[in-house]
This record gives sequence, C-alpha cells and structure tokens, in this order.
Amino acid sequence: MSAANKMEASSAAHSLSRYLRATGMPLLFLASILATLAIHRDFGAFDVQSLALGALPLAMAATAQAIVVISGGIDLSVGSMIAVANVLSASLMQHASFRQSLGLAVLIILVGAVQGAINGTLIVLSRIPDIVVTLTTGFIWGGVALLILERPGGGAPSDFLEIGAGADLSPVLPNALLLLIVAVGVIWVPIRSSRLGLSLYATGSDPIAAFRSGVDPRLARILAYGLGGVFCGIGGVALTMTTGIGAPLAGAYYTLSSVAAVVIGGVSLNGGRGGVLGPVLAALLLTLLPMDLIFLNIDPNYGQVIQGTLIVLVVMIGGFAAFMQGRS
Amino acid sequence: MKRAHIFAGVSLFSMLAAASGASAADKYVVGVSNTLIGNGWREEMICSIKAEAEASGLVSKVIVANRNGGPSEQIADIRNLISAGANAIIINPSDRDALNPVIKQAVDKGIVVVAVDQAVSAPEAYVLTNDQVAYAKVGAKWLFDKLGGKGNVVEMRGIDGVPADADRHQGFTEVLKDYPDIKVVSVFSGWALNKTAQETKDLLASGKPIDGVWTSGIDSTVVDAYKTAQKPFVPVVGADNNGFIGQLIDLKSQGLSGAAVSNPPAVGGAGLGLALDVLQKKEHPHVVKITPVVWDNSDAGLVKLKAAYNPKLDPFYSVAIDVKPYTQYNMDQILACKGP
Repeated sequence: MSAANKMEASSAAHSLSRYLRATGMPLLFLASILATLAIHRDFGAFDVQSLALGALPLAMAATAQAIVVISGGIDLSVGSMIAVANVLSASLMQHASFRQSLGLAVLIILVGAVQGAINGTLIVLSRIPDIVVTLTTGFIWGGVALLILERPGGGAPSDFLEIGAGADLSPVLPNALLLLIVAVGVIWVPIRSSRLGLSLYATGSDPIAAFRSGVDPRLARILAYGLGGVFCGIGGVALTMTTGIGAPLAGAYYTLSSVAAVVIGGVSLNGGRGGVLGPVLAALLLTLLPMDLIFLNIDPNYGQVIQGTLIVLVVMIGGFAAFMQGRS
Repeated sequence: MKRAHIFAGVSLFSMLAAASGASAADKYVVGVSNTLIGNGWREEMICSIKAEAEASGLVSKVIVANRNGGPSEQIADIRNLISAGANAIIINPSDRDALNPVIKQAVDKGIVVVAVDQAVSAPEAYVLTNDQVAYAKVGAKWLFDKLGGKGNVVEMRGIDGVPADADRHQGFTEVLKDYPDIKVVSVFSGWALNKTAQETKDLLASGKPIDGVWTSGIDSTVVDAYKTAQKPFVPVVGADNNGFIGQLIDLKSQGLSGAAVSNPPAVGGAGLGLALDVLQKKEHPHVVKITPVVWDNSDAGLVKLKAAYNPKLDPFYSVAIDVKPYTQYNMDQILACKGP
C-alpha cells in the first residue's frame, strides 16, 4: 500500500469513527422510541412525563460524568454527591417556603460545585489516580448523606415539587424534560464553545500538548470536576423534585449508571472525545428499557442484562474502530 | 458502529413486538410493585397474587414490577404500571408518604390501589396489612416473659425507614416500657439472609452476653448461626416461616425455645381479592388489619406447630398460605406460582 493510500485509509477510518460517535446514539435512541411506539400504541403525554421524571436525575449524573471523562478523568463519587444534594434539599426544604426552596436549590448546587472542586484539587495536588480519589471521597460523601438524613424522609413544598413533576411550563414538553434541556443548554452549551470547553477537551485528549498550547491542565481538571459537581447538585435537587423525599442510599445507583450512560453515549473513556448529548440520550434509553419491559411483562431485571450487553457492544465496536485505525 | 446500533435497535424492536402478542379480553389487568427481591416472604406474596389472579378467573394478566430499590424506583414502577394499563395495582410500599402523589394519579385514572403488608398514608388507597404494631408486641412480650423480665435482648429490625419496620419498632418499644430490666441492642437485618447471618456472627463473636433474640422475620438464619458457632441456644422470636417452625420442632430437644408470630404473605393475594371486589363495585373498608397470633414450642404449643409445618413448602416461605375470606386459591395454585 502506498503512503498516500495509507493516509487516506487512516483518515477514512478516523472520520468514520467520528461520524459514528456523533450519530450512533441518536440513531439507537430513535430506534428504541420507534420500538416503544410500536409495542405501546397509547404512548402519550403521561408516558413521556414518566420517562422524563425517571431519567432526569440519571441524565444529570450522565452529564456530570461525561464532562469529567471528556477532560480525562473519571468520577466514582457522582452517586454520593447526588445523595448529599438529595438529602440536603429534602431536609432543608421540608419546612421552607417556595421562594426559600429556590434559594436553597441554588445553594445546594453550589455545594455540589465545591464537592467536585475538592475532588479535582485532591487529584491534581496528590497525583493519586482519579479512580482512587473519587472512590474514597465517594465513601465520605455517602457517609455524610447518612449523617444528614438517617433514613428516607424530609420533603419540599408542593409548588417546588410541581416544577419537576408538573406539565404546565410548556404546552408541548413535560417540565422534567424542559428542566433537562435548560440545565444542559444554559450551563454546558456556552462552556462547550468557549475557551474553557476547548481546554477541557484538550486536557482530556493530551495534557502535555494542551500545556504546550498554553492551557493549564491542572486548572482545567479542577474546573471539570467542579462542573461535574454542579450537575450532581442539580441531579440531587431533581431527585428531590421528582420523588418528594430524600433517600440517603438512593445515590448508589447513579455512579455506575452514569458511567454506563457515558460509554453507551459514545464518550471515549480515554478522554478528549464525545459530547453530552450522547450520554443524556443514553440516560433516557436506560430509563425507557425497564418501562418497555414492564409493559411487556418481562422481568425488569433483564434491563440490566440488556444494558450490560449494550456497553460491551459499544466498547467492542469502539475498540474495533481504533484497531482498524491503528492498523491502517 | 452505526450498523451495529441499528441492528441492536431492530432486534430489540422485533423481540419486543413478538412478546406483545397477548391480547386482553374484558378481564382485568393487575400490576404489582415490589422493591425487595431475594426475600422468601416477598416471593410468596407475589405467588399468592398470581394464584389469586388464576383462581378468581377475573384477571387477564399480572404484570410484576419487581426490583430492589427505594421510593424513587417504586414511583417510576407504579407510573409504568399505570402506563401498561393496569386496572388494579397491588403495592408493597417502601415509604409511607412518598408514594402518595403517584397513588393519587392512579386512583384519578380509575385504578384501584391496594397497599399490602405495609401501610401508606394516601386516603385514596386501600390498605390490607398484618397489624405490624401488634406483631412486634406479642412476640416481644412472649420473649420478655420467657426471660423473666430480665436480660439482654437483640432487636433484629428490618429495613430502616420503611413503614412496617417503623410500626414494629413502635410496638417493640411500647412493650419494653413494662420491662425495665430488659436491655436492648438494635441491629438492622435488611430482611436479607446474608446480612442477618453476618450480624448474628458479629454479635456472637463480640462476646456480648445475649439472653434472647427478637427478629423481624429473618429467623432461621439466626438459629443456624448459633448452631454453626456451637453456642447454646437462647430464646428466639421469629415469624411463621416454614424453616423456623421446623427448627422449633426439631431443635426443642437440643434446648431451643422460641415463638413464631404469624405474618401471612398471602396479604398479597388478599389485596388482589379486595381489589377485584372493589372493581366489581362491592363495598370495602379502606383499612383492613389482620391480627397476629403467637405459637411457641412449649409442650402445649408444639401440637399447633406440627400441624402448621409443611414439608412441601420452601423453608423461607410462611406456612400461612391464605387469608380468608379474601383469597380463593388452594395450596397447589400458590406453590405453582403461575398467573394467568
């Protein structure tokens, strides 16, 4: 093979893998929506709302995880941070007014940012691998959640719960879906297209190259974890909004599910590649699966089997694409 | 990757489409929401619902949403059961208050909601449970009297924060007030076999003097842990689980004394019986409580235990297989555990 041919093949493989990364998840999601509509002909407003309510906290967790993974890290404390925000909001808002609750929500999201920044700072300063640091802080935050609220309880004013559970903010979309779009749209989209966003991708892709191009990779990583913390805070408040209570152990589910959503959503675990749309759609897909299985009266635990199979398939296909790229 | 994604989507599509072939006539669709798996009592509860559905002849399909989880998972499951077109939903609730909004939504859509085993506070729901406060009271009273009103007792609770555990703890604490010389250590078993075994091992290894154990229903595991550790038995209070009743009969000669308090998982089937009545416009009170009874393995009580013991039944199943007059099925139907 001539050098020119080689280069052509390599760039073709490269652009194919980029193309798949961008379109694979939306296509898969579309297919599962069509499948749902085919088996469940009355799938309507109530069901879309169920989907949005169920997926909102996971979508936030997936967004948080995606930002951290894109910048070259991984956060195993996502679930515990969500639990802290969940129990904090449920215990503080229980006797608060609607306006106070809104203020508290902002405060709790800031607490999430601080938690995330602590993760990032510890990693950058200690140079201990991300997975170890966040596993440890995850245990700590998990314990803190139990100290704040020993058992499921607490609450929030009903107008506040209506923001998440209602369907009145927009004539077309349920509130929960609207919240999801607004949270990701207002926070992530501007950052993504700014210098900060570029520095996150650059750091995740190659920290040394990023450093030589004038990016401070250490600051970028701390900011990525902090931003992840913001979305965990939103996720925890959203959990309170959609369930009406705080549950100290409810967070556990979100850590590994967020990693699953990130992988299925086409974000490379090596960092620097992927976006937030894929993981968010993956979160919706992972919520839609048990819904369909219950509708078909199949044991919803098969949902986990399907989820695992999807992850293996996506990782294998990703690995295969990388292998083809390397060979050519 | 794209092709594989589409392929995965299409095969999922065809699998789902093939599975949805069953059609419902004018019979009722019944949904079940349970959030504790790997627990014999809950399995038997679901089997009793399926058996009642089969025996009643009024049910076309039983949809079981069954996974480990808390209120947030259960809210999602109940919403999904509403979506799936359930006419009645039987819930074993994971929280007293958190499910109220979704229960109200279901009732507003004309669905009959029955909470079984544990209570919910939603006034729209029907509640059919064992009297959980009395359950703890009668068992604890038997134990404290057995110990002569003096000694160290382990209170092996269920899951912190769920309604039945709170009610039982209330009953236990009320009785305790009359026995000032009883000292209590509380632990949580999570109503799980592995956790109970671990907690009991830890307690035995700690060297703390233990004079008696009250359990919230995971009972034979405690007796087994004593056997394994080769420690002399202390009085144990459990539920009317088949395996525990077998131990009370067989190990009496080796010094085991204990009492089984009735807690029928057939409240599940009974809840469905009640729901079907309501769907057919029969009147029922919104709250039905079943009064628990105590069987101990004293010489007098042994006759009752022997009559109740059922070698055909799983050791972790309760011997109380029905709740009359709400259930109609027979022993074979609940053992088959098959719904329509």
